[in-house]
Amino acid sequence: MKTRTWIAVVCGVCLSTLMVSCSKKQPPEETGTTPEPAPPAATEAKGKIGVTCMDLTNPFFKLISNVMTEEAAKVGYQVVSLDGNNDPAKQNSQLADFAAQGFDAVFLNPVDSKAAGEGVKKLNAAGIPVFTFDVQVTDDEAKDMVTSHLGSDNFQGGQLAGESMMKATNDTGKIAVIGYPEVTSCILRVDGFKDQLKKANSKLEIVTELSGKGNRNDGYTVATDILQAHPDIVGIFAINDPSGLGAHAAVVKAGKTEQITIVAFDASPAGKQAVFEKKLYDSPQQFPRKMAQGTVAAFIKHLEGETIEKKIFIPCSHYYYETSVDDESRLAEQW
Amino acid sequence: MKTLLTNYGMILVLIALCALFSCLTIKEQTPTGTAAAEQLRQRVEAACKKDDIILIVGAARKESGTLAEAVAPELVAAGFANARTVVGEPRDLRVALDELQATGQSPAAIVTAGDVMKWRVLERISQTHPAFAKAQVLVPESYRWPDFLKRSNLLAIVDRIVVIAVIAIGMTMVIITAGIDLSVGSLIALSAVVGTMVMKQMGGLQAGPGVVVVGFLAGTLACGLVGGLGGCIVAQFRVPPFITTLGIMMMARGLAFMITGGFSVYQVPKALAWLGQGRSLAIPNTVLLLIVLYVGAHVFMAHTRLGRYIYAVGGNEQAALLSGVPVKAVITFVYMISGLAAGLGGCIQASQLNTGTPNMGVMFELYVIAAVVVGGTSLAGGSGRILGTLIGAFIISVIQNGMNLLGMESYTQQVVLGAVILGAVLLDKVRSGKQVTAFFARRQQLRNP
Repeated sequence: MKTRTWIAVVCGVCLSTLMVSCSKKQPPEETGTTPEPAPPAATEAKGKIGVTCMDLTNPFFKLISNVMTEEAAKVGYQVVSLDGNNDPAKQNSQLADFAAQGFDAVFLNPVDSKAAGEGVKKLNAAGIPVFTFDVQVTDDEAKDMVTSHLGSDNFQGGQLAGESMMKATNDTGKIAVIGYPEVTSCILRVDGFKDQLKKANSKLEIVTELSGKGNRNDGYTVATDILQAHPDIVGIFAINDPSGLGAHAAVVKAGKTEQITIVAFDASPAGKQAVFEKKLYDSPQQFPRKMAQGTVAAFIKHLEGETIEKKIFIPCSHYYYETSVDDESRLAEQW
Repeated sequence: MKTLLTNYGMILVLIALCALFSCLTIKEQTPTGTAAAEQLRQRVEAACKKDDIILIVGAARKESGTLAEAVAPELVAAGFANARTVVGEPRDLRVALDELQATGQSPAAIVTAGDVMKWRVLERISQTHPAFAKAQVLVPESYRWPDFLKRSNLLAIVDRIVVIAVIAIGMTMVIITAGIDLSVGSLIALSAVVGTMVMKQMGGLQAGPGVVVVGFLAGTLACGLVGGLGGCIVAQFRVPPFITTLGIMMMARGLAFMITGGFSVYQVPKALAWLGQGRSLAIPNTVLLLIVLYVGAHVFMAHTRLGRYIYAVGGNEQAALLSGVPVKAVITFVYMISGLAAGLGGCIQASQLNTGTPNMGVMFELYVIAAVVVGGTSLAGGSGRILGTLIGAFIISVIQNGMNLLGMESYTQQVVLGAVILGAVLLDKVRSGKQVTAFFARRQQLRNP
């Protein structure tokens, strides 16, 4: 009896794993025009690329991961996309697995700029090229091992926001900044914003700078407090759409929508919609799609033996009401 | 053999999983040995004249690179004076090709292997360097071998599980006393952060190995203290362990964030990496540590009085008390051990990542509990084996690693891992169904004498 039960255990485990692993090998994208052969696709693929993001539940990264999968499939590479779960240890064991299996390349979006260095060293020792996107690896040894980095030009995006703010307020009055000083990219946005005001000899005065932690709730709370302390402000710059929309809710509550202009950042679908509804004046746009395509393109260039720039920054662009009217992606894209 | 199987039946599941993943990850591998080099030399001799230009190409730090470096001297010895070796990245090959073209020469053969064949420089050679298109590409015969069974992968399996396996020792003892410890995940972070902060304060990057030891001790002892306090609360005030350790879990995580201000601590000495990444006597330290700790814990639990007390307390606390077992002391002791183990786990984690981060070890308590239960320890207390826990930990690690090798999607991975854990435990229960019924019958009897 015992032996029989054991055979059942083993078979059960094998079967369940087999079933799932087979079902996975279906082509991930049903493009229709280019039908991929079903199960053998994995073996016929020229090679594998490992992708690990800080948080795949964030639509921004999910979109990047999907676009990378599409782009890599065009050149015959299969993408294995894993979720770092905001856990540096988990991400590092994922990198170790990529190294052990001898993947052809790894696209990395580090959970922790320093801790990811250990994973990068392992990949480097296994001769696997690493491409980072959105967030850079800053470990002293490991940063030179990264083949190429691709990210948004957050400083320039901040300058765009400054430009819009000056335009919308006729360059006079007091303004507030809702930042997120824990995150490098957000610090750069604020720096760019201030740089633009300084360069243009702006008469705008930043009366306060507080953290909205990049989310709607804290954006709302901190904007409410700002309106208590400085009821006469004419503008608010928030470092991303959620905190900008939170600030907007606070402004609505105080009945000051006519008096206060809000400039946010990212042009996420929610932000685009808000610009269309004139809740936000501008939301300098990031391009997750370009970031994904650019990373795959850098890998191809690497394989072709071309020289690759160590760091590439994609410039942001304005996103005004006029842009939003004709923008189909505002409704079509989901991230 | 029969007792081994009854006691450690889960080992069959582990073996089955290994066999399964080995079958599924079989792949063409590039040979690197002298036989392959010899084979390549013969092919070159058959295809080329002695004064032909021959390019030997390999990818840096990969099998093809090793092979290229083995072939080069063979060819030179065989009289091919114009053999050139390029070991590096695609860029290096491109540069070499451009140089050759500039001098008007062209290679008669390109000797290479494995992943270099995937370089687009080679694929597009007829477009970029039309003159070289007629060069023959010579490769050795590949062999088939599972990625899963590569040495580097087997070590990766140990590396990913070492933290969980170490903590599972303490957790096994806690669960055998019919308790639970939810705080271990947060204690990993606390220990790592305390340890690395101490190292940072005592000299940071320039500090020596002594400072690392002090840091590790500080981290581990701090967690042992916290664990012991929790044990006291459970033993003295009869607060349910679930609630006690839940409270500690939140406090420890919060403390870790407070100590660092939310940032990671990376100003650590070089020697920190030794524990998690170094080797002694050519064996990785993590493997040695696991062997020592598990052998020690097994002997402790199976052959010492205190070890047997732990089983007694979990089996029937009242009976244990009446037989003169110091129940409160035993309970405090197991939670302290669990805290110490979590502290040590945190040190290993910090060493593996060369950083202390307050968001380390989120959800680890659940993996640790899963490892213990899959290993055959009953959550009702009173029974369980240390070595079973090791097997349980490896089952979890092998599944995670195997799924990554197969390229399974993240979302699916969670479903499969959960299903396999549940299935394994379920079948184990079916197997030992009689024991379970007997256990509950006994409890019933105790309640209604």
